[in-house]
Amino acid sequence: MRLRKLTLRHFRNVGFAALEFSGRQHFLVGANGHGKTSLLEAAGFITALRSFRTSEQKQLVMLAQHTAAISCAVEHEQQGDTQLTIKLRHGDKELWCDQTRVTRLADHLGKFPTVVFSSQDLQLVRGSPAGRRRWLDLTLAAMDAGYFRALQTFTRALAERNALLKSGRPADQELAAFEQTLAPAAATLIELRRSGLQVLAKSLEASYAKLCDGAEPAGVGYDPNFEEADADALLARLEAGRARDVQFRTTLVGPHRDDFHFTVKHTAAKEFGSEGQQRSLVLALRLAQAAWFHAKSGVRPVLLCDDVLGELDPARRRRFWSAIDHESQVIATGTSLPATAGQPDGELGTWQVFRVADGDFAEEVAAAEAPA
Amino acid sequence: MTPAFDKLQQHLKQLPGLGYRSSERIALHLLVEKPARLPALVVALEEAARSVRRCACCGNLAEGEHCAICADERRDRSVVCVVEQVPDLVAIERSASFRGAYHVLHGKLSPIHGVGPDDLNLAALRARVESGEIAELILALSNDVEGEATCHYLTEHLPGGRPVKVTRIGFGLPSGGGVLYADSVTLKSALDSRRVYS
Ligand SMILES: [Zn+2]
Repeated sequence: MRLRKLTLRHFRNVGFAALEFSGRQHFLVGANGHGKTSLLEAAGFITALRSFRTSEQKQLVMLAQHTAAISCAVEHEQQGDTQLTIKLRHGDKELWCDQTRVTRLADHLGKFPTVVFSSQDLQLVRGSPAGRRRWLDLTLAAMDAGYFRALQTFTRALAERNALLKSGRPADQELAAFEQTLAPAAATLIELRRSGLQVLAKSLEASYAKLCDGAEPAGVGYDPNFEEADADALLARLEAGRARDVQFRTTLVGPHRDDFHFTVKHTAAKEFGSEGQQRSLVLALRLAQAAWFHAKSGVRPVLLCDDVLGELDPARRRRFWSAIDHESQVIATGTSLPATAGQPDGELGTWQVFRVADGDFAEEVAAAEAPA
Repeated sequence: MTPAFDKLQQHLKQLPGLGYRSSERIALHLLVEKPARLPALVVALEEAARSVRRCACCGNLAEGEHCAICADERRDRSVVCVVEQVPDLVAIERSASFRGAYHVLHGKLSPIHGVGPDDLNLAALRARVESGEIAELILALSNDVEGEATCHYLTEHLPGGRPVKVTRIGFGLPSGGGVLYADSVTLKSALDSRRVYS
């Protein structure tokens, strides 16, 4: 998939911007806070109608405006040229694909894959399990309608069961009624998380080896809260745990308490990894996510690199560029153009450069090739 | 505007589907634009409040002890379709494809919204099953977590000793709709509820 034209209106601090992308590699350069990340955020929004920076849609609409709009012309391996339009107003999202309104997220999810590389990704290694679960859910749900459906059912059934536990009058029969829908959905999640993470782990291992010259083995491992992907076993466990759940007023067992962990040289990277190792791990995780999207959908995701290159030394950066799929479109941002032959990482070929200032995006006319 | 007007508008605003603007418009319409309509409306409200109630048997709207469907001798009272709300019953009636009787639960289990078994019209259903008049229950509840939980609760708590066949309506493609344009969730449930074709 390639983005050919991206138009923003009243999106964050960008009043209006229309960018036409030519070629495969695009670099947005400018000081922080001028709109570079907002543009990547808008491009990433088309995948799951979610921002990689915030869950509060209000923040996406420019101050004192009612509606923000993202419009995007896409060259797509399967759907041909497609026009996507997203309107955001008052917590409402409207998605149009060509001339048709899309009302079910399930029908859209994963068709227009993008993968964001962000400096905030370090939290995937260092932060709380909730962030890792969110990443895993998004990665799996985007490519599997069955996972998405199970996640919706599980989330709703869990909320109902917890509301019952908090109500102070939880009757066994009522708890049982919601456990009947909760358990099969939970079993599906456990099974698909396990098999998905196995594939992602292999892919992460390969990417990490490329990023670090194969010096050390890396991996991810699933830490399920309830091990068995079996609805009946979980039903029995929920029933046995009711008294404790009533006491704590919440459901203590289930995939809502799952986690996964990163390892380098078979040691927990969260506690013992160096900052460099942790950075390489999240880059490798994002590369694995991109490979997963491509393998599952047959569509090459657009790679959105938000200021991650500045954090890497030149050798690592070169290895990063050699690790990515060379047919994928890349939109990268940075505060300065790296000084390779007048072009960022010029050995990779030509970049289309946009200068960003005050929410304004100006394409830079190709500079004369600097002498080598 | 005036104290009495404001009071009326406040009451109207609490009705489902009415916001501040629409309640103001209705109050103005009734009091100022078409005051002639008001007496008839007041009478209709009073009369309806006096005479409309839940059918003692099925929970449908009724003006006597029983609703028109329960009172209809030609309906098959051994097959009972269980629905969440009266409008669901109306929709099935409009399809003219069902000649049995109904049972309206007036809701579905949802602890999030504070709805428990005691809030549903379940005691009357148990009594109907207990009386032995019901041979089949068709569960026409919505196809979501709460609908499924209610179906489960309901079937687990039927009185014993009375064999009742329990079925669930299928969820499939809208008629006239092709496979191509159906969303994936609908397709899945259409496949799940497939039947033998001969
Ligand atoms: Zn009746």
